[in-house]
Amino acid sequence: MKARALLAALLLLGLLAATASASPRQTVNPGQLTVGVALPSEGFQVGVVRGSEVLYAQGFEIDLARALALRLDLDRTVFLQSRFDRLFSAGQKPWDMAIAEITITPDRRRTALFTRPYMSVDQGVLAAQTLERVPKTLAALRTLRICALRKSTGALVAQGTIAPTRPVVLAGNVDTLMLDLQNGHCEAAVYDAPALGTLKDRAPRRYGPFIGVIKTGEKYGVALPRGSTLRSRVDRALAGLIADGTVERLQRKWVTAHLENLRVLR
Amino acid sequence: MGVSTTAAARKRSLPTPGVGLALVIVALAAAFWAAGASGGARQATVKVWFLQGEQMVTVDRPGSSAEDAIRQLLAGPTRAEARRGIETYVPSRTPLRSVSVQNGIATVDLGVKLVKGTDAASLLARLSQVVHTATGPEGATKVRLRVDGGTPLGVFPGVSAAGAITVEYLETPDAPPAKPPTVPSTPVVGSVRAAQQRLADLGFLLPSGVDGQDGPATQTGVLAFQKWTGLARDGELGPQTLRRLQMATKPAPITRGGSGKRAEVLLDRQVALAIQNNEVVRVIHVSTGASATPTPPGDFKVYAKYAKWWSVPFREWLLWALPFNGGIAFHEFPEVPAYPASHGCVRQSFTTAKWLFEFAEVGMPVKVISRSR
Repeated sequence: MKARALLAALLLLGLLAATASASPRQTVNPGQLTVGVALPSEGFQVGVVRGSEVLYAQGFEIDLARALALRLDLDRTVFLQSRFDRLFSAGQKPWDMAIAEITITPDRRRTALFTRPYMSVDQGVLAAQTLERVPKTLAALRTLRICALRKSTGALVAQGTIAPTRPVVLAGNVDTLMLDLQNGHCEAAVYDAPALGTLKDRAPRRYGPFIGVIKTGEKYGVALPRGSTLRSRVDRALAGLIADGTVERLQRKWVTAHLENLRVLR
Repeated sequence: MGVSTTAAARKRSLPTPGVGLALVIVALAAAFWAAGASGGARQATVKVWFLQGEQMVTVDRPGSSAEDAIRQLLAGPTRAEARRGIETYVPSRTPLRSVSVQNGIATVDLGVKLVKGTDAASLLARLSQVVHTATGPEGATKVRLRVDGGTPLGVFPGVSAAGAITVEYLETPDAPPAKPPTVPSTPVVGSVRAAQQRLADLGFLLPSGVDGQDGPATQTGVLAFQKWTGLARDGELGPQTLRRLQMATKPAPITRGGSGKRAEVLLDRQVALAIQNNEVVRVIHVSTGASATPTPPGDFKVYAKYAKWWSVPFREWLLWALPFNGGIAFHEFPEVPAYPASHGCVRQSFTTAKWLFEFAEVGMPVKVISRSR
C-alpha cells in the first residue's frame, strides 16, 4: 500500500513538473511562440500583414513578445493578426498568447487568462484640428461628436463616463479611428492615452491638441486562451522582464507620448 | 495590364495654387538622356520623383511603364544629381517584387526594407516618392502600395496606406499652418536690455527686440552671435558671451558682391547673413541640411516668395519660404537646433523668418558657403 502511495505521489510530482516547465510542446507550434496581435497601434505594434499573417512588425509590444519568447527558451516568434476583441474572446485560438494593449477587466477575465500587468494607462482625449474651442471638463466634452475604438475600454469610457449627447462613432480599428478624427467625422477621439500621445507625437500637426486624460487606472496584460498551460511561465518571464528593466526600456524606446503635464478631465 | 503610354502622354493636373507652389519640377536629366538618344527616334521617358530640400522634384529617365518608373526610382539619383542636393528616402537596395496597373490603379509591391525604421519624415517621403512615381505611366491615377504582398498598417504616420492613394491626396494640405508660439512675458532686466542693445547694434537682433526680456528673440540672437564668434552654442547670456559681446565688431560679409541685397549661408557657422550694399544687415541663426541631407554649396537666386509652402513629402507647412535651389529654401520651422538638422533647407526660428522674408526679393543672390573662416 505504501509503495503504491509512493508511486502515485511520484507520478503526480512528475506530472506537475511537466506542467510547470513549458516544454516546447506546450506551444501551438513546437519551439515557437505564436502571438496574436491587432495591428496597427502607433508605438505599440505597426507593420505589414497579409490576411492573418504578419510579415513584418515593430513596436513596444512586438519587442516585448520577442523578449518573452527568449525567456521561454523559444527560438522563434510568429505574429498573427486578429480582430482586437477576438484576442480575449472565448474559444480555441491559433496563438499561444495575445498582446495588443489589452486592458485586464473582469469581463475579459471570464473568457481569457491574463498575466500580471506590464503597463498602467489612463484614457486620453485627442481633439481634431478643426475643433475651435478646446473643452476643459468632462461636461464640456458631452456636446462633442466623440469617436472611439469598438469594444475597447475607450468606447466604454466614451459612452459611460463622457456620455455625449450624440452617439459615439465607433471605429473598427485604430487606423479608421484616426482617419475619422483627421477627416472631421468626429471632434475628439477617446483611446488609450499612451497610444494616442504617441500618434500625436509622430504626426503632431495632423491632430488638434491633446485635451487631457480621464483617469481609469487600466492595466495591460498578456492574454492567453482559457485552459492554456503557459500562463504561469509567461507570467514569470514577464516578471523577470519587469524586474530587470527590460519592459521600461522598451516602453521608453517606442512609446513617445508626453503625458506628464496633461489636464485630468473631471 | 493596362494600356502602356509614354511619359510624354502623361499629364498631371497642377494642384490648386497654394499647393501647386509646393511642386518644383526639375528636368535635370532630360538633356542627358536626350543626348544619349540623339540621332535616333525620340526615347520614351518616365518621370521619377526624388526630393530636394523639403520638396519633390522630378527627373526624366528612359522607360514607359510603371515598372520602368519604379525601377528607376529604386536606382536612386545619379552622383551629379546628389551633388545638387537631389536625394531619395527610399532605402538603397529595396527589392522590387512586382508592379502592375489595372483599371487605373498601380499596385506596387516592394520589399520590407521600404517600411523599416522609425523616422516619421523619412517614411512619409518614401511613400510620396512611390505614389508620385507610379502615378501616370499606363494611365495609373491611384497607387496601392504592398510590401512583400502584404498591407502596411500604421507604418506611415498620419497616412493610411491600407487602400489606394492618389497624388492629390498627398498634395492636399491636411493640417493648418502652425501658429507662432505664445511668448510669455519675463521680467525686464537692465543687464539684459544692455546686452540686447549691443546685439542689435551688431546686427544679431532687431531694434524692436530690445525690451529687457530674455525671450526667444534674444536667445536666437545670442545663438547667432555665439555661432558667429565660435563660442559654445547655448543661447544664454552667460559671462563668456557677455564678455565677448563687449569687444565684438560688426560682422562683415564673407565674399564681396555687387550693390543691393544678397544673402550668404555659412554652413560651418550655421548662420545666414542678410547683406545690403556689402554691409551685413543681420546675422541669423539657422540650421541647414543634416549630414545625410546636406545643403549643397554654390551660387543661387531666390526664385519665389511663398508665405505658406506645403511640403508634399513631409506633409507640413513651411512658413515664410524663400526657395533658391529647387526645393531648398529659407523657411520657418518649429525646431531650429544649433547644428545642421534639416532635409537640406535653411531653417529659421519664427523670430527671424518673417523679417528675412520681407527683406528678400525674388532674384536676390544667395551664396551657400562651406567654409567661412
